[in-house]
Amino acid sequence: MKDRNYTHSIQINSDKCIGCSHCMRVCSTKAIRIVDGHARIQPERCVDCGECFRACPQRAIYAQDDGLASLLPEHHTIALVPSVFIGQFSSDYSATQVLDAVRQVGFDEVFEVEHAVDFMKRAYSAYAESHSTRPLISSYCPAVVRLIQVQYPALTGQIMRLKAPHDIASLFLRKSKEEKGESTEKISIYYITPCAAKSVAASAPVGEEKSLIDGTVNMPTVFNLASRILRGQKGSMPRKSVADMSPDSVCWSLSGTEKSYFPGRSLAIDGMDNVIEFLEKLELGQITGIDFLEMRACDQGCAGGILCPGNRFLTVERLEQRRERLKMLKDEHQGIVENSLLEREEELHAHSGVEPVYPRDGLLLDEDMGKALLKLQRIDRLMTYLPGFDCGACGAPECRYLAEDIVKGKATISHCVFVQRVMEKNYKLSPEQSFEVIEKVWGKNRLDKYQG
Amino acid sequence: MRIEYHIEGGDFSSGGSASSAVRKTLKQFNIAPLLVRRIAVVLYEAEMNVVAHAYHGTMTVDIRPTGIHVVIEDSGPGIEDIDKAMEEGFSTATDEVRQMGFGAGMGLPNIRKNCDEMKLTSTPGEGTRLEIQVNF
Repeated sequence: MKDRNYTHSIQINSDKCIGCSHCMRVCSTKAIRIVDGHARIQPERCVDCGECFRACPQRAIYAQDDGLASLLPEHHTIALVPSVFIGQFSSDYSATQVLDAVRQVGFDEVFEVEHAVDFMKRAYSAYAESHSTRPLISSYCPAVVRLIQVQYPALTGQIMRLKAPHDIASLFLRKSKEEKGESTEKISIYYITPCAAKSVAASAPVGEEKSLIDGTVNMPTVFNLASRILRGQKGSMPRKSVADMSPDSVCWSLSGTEKSYFPGRSLAIDGMDNVIEFLEKLELGQITGIDFLEMRACDQGCAGGILCPGNRFLTVERLEQRRERLKMLKDEHQGIVENSLLEREEELHAHSGVEPVYPRDGLLLDEDMGKALLKLQRIDRLMTYLPGFDCGACGAPECRYLAEDIVKGKATISHCVFVQRVMEKNYKLSPEQSFEVIEKVWGKNRLDKYQG
Repeated sequence: MRIEYHIEGGDFSSGGSASSAVRKTLKQFNIAPLLVRRIAVVLYEAEMNVVAHAYHGTMTVDIRPTGIHVVIEDSGPGIEDIDKAMEEGFSTATDEVRQMGFGAGMGLPNIRKNCDEMKLTSTPGEGTRLEIQVNF
């Protein structure tokens, strides 16, 4: 089985993109090429990690969400707010206050995603008992799941087949409404997302036919509107008087909390490069004796999400403060946590699984083994011609990928500026022709300013 | 197509680079991912055998549409008793090597388990030659 749904949230605005190639150089899966003066993403390789978004100096790369405008006025709208959103604001504002501001932005109801974490903790113990595969890889970060599908297909079977907390939260909300006799068809549950990958997980989920999330709104949109509301408020808002979730649940999306809830030995790995380095070792069979891998594409977990407006380290510290406050509340009430989501634990448990995750074709040279071998041989021969500097002037991130593009028919050897010089010298290419090649990669008018 | 890699004995820090390179190549073919992984693990074991026991060696990989054929040859102490080396749990690895997580005596039995054909020959005092075939 192969997964061929290549929907992406990360998009490039060609009007703003000047083809500067910053994104191409940082892409972990080598999914970006420069064509006609603009960056272009290869859908089969992109994992929506958003490293290109961070690197783009033109702000030409954006994360496509559904947006507030897509909320239907006749629907009962619920905002699913992750704890990292609350961590974007100064600790002067209480969580209750921030959540209420989100409601005022344009929702009928708000619900903090991390309520579902208390459910996840128990589900992990149950999952560990009923599944023998080790190490299991957390399914929490959708960019990591997609990275494994594209680059580490042999490891897809090790991804935990459990829904993410926001899906569980959504499931809980739906079940609660159903019980109250409210029509679930007219409910819209929107997730306030810290990253592009979570948007894709909602629009094109892996291991599920349809997501339980109806839409996503990028964090900055809600942050801006909520900030204005909070600034306009006079006096202090009430704080919670009881802990409505276990204290450390608010830190689940960061690095290091999730891993402690899987029985046995576990690691928490954050940052795209670190995740890749570890998956390489894991695929070679070099990792033994480890039971669980918590992996986050972003440094500091979701606090480092590409759409988080605040500083990731401040966010982490604020969430830790909140954890301490919840701990205090819990201690004041003889250790009692009043999380209504857990009342439906059994019901949720029955729906918490997902289908297996299948590999993607991102690295495939050719379906046919014989043809793929010939292509590989051609790549090897081409590599002896290409300079090996990985200068990127051909519009591919490394010589190796230009060679690949050539055998796939997407580029020619004259794209290489070094080969061009030699071809010109040997009269195989006229200066006009090499001019055309440069324009094909870097855009029609790219060389205009050098011509009097 | 044939690719040759050099393996340096005692270089544990970068050990595994040859098998890693082969794995990257194989991922570009329409081969079941788990088979790719099995081959990678076999080659890693074989490569680490050279790193752990020999002075230096080569890994010659021949990829064909039907399967992969690999020859790992090294200059080293060789294997005194091949039958014994094939026994699970047997290892001549030094304490230093064991401390790094190798030398559990599962290398060769693991390799045999995971490939379609395996031929191991050795001249004590000169070196060892391991030939492996895995069909796609």
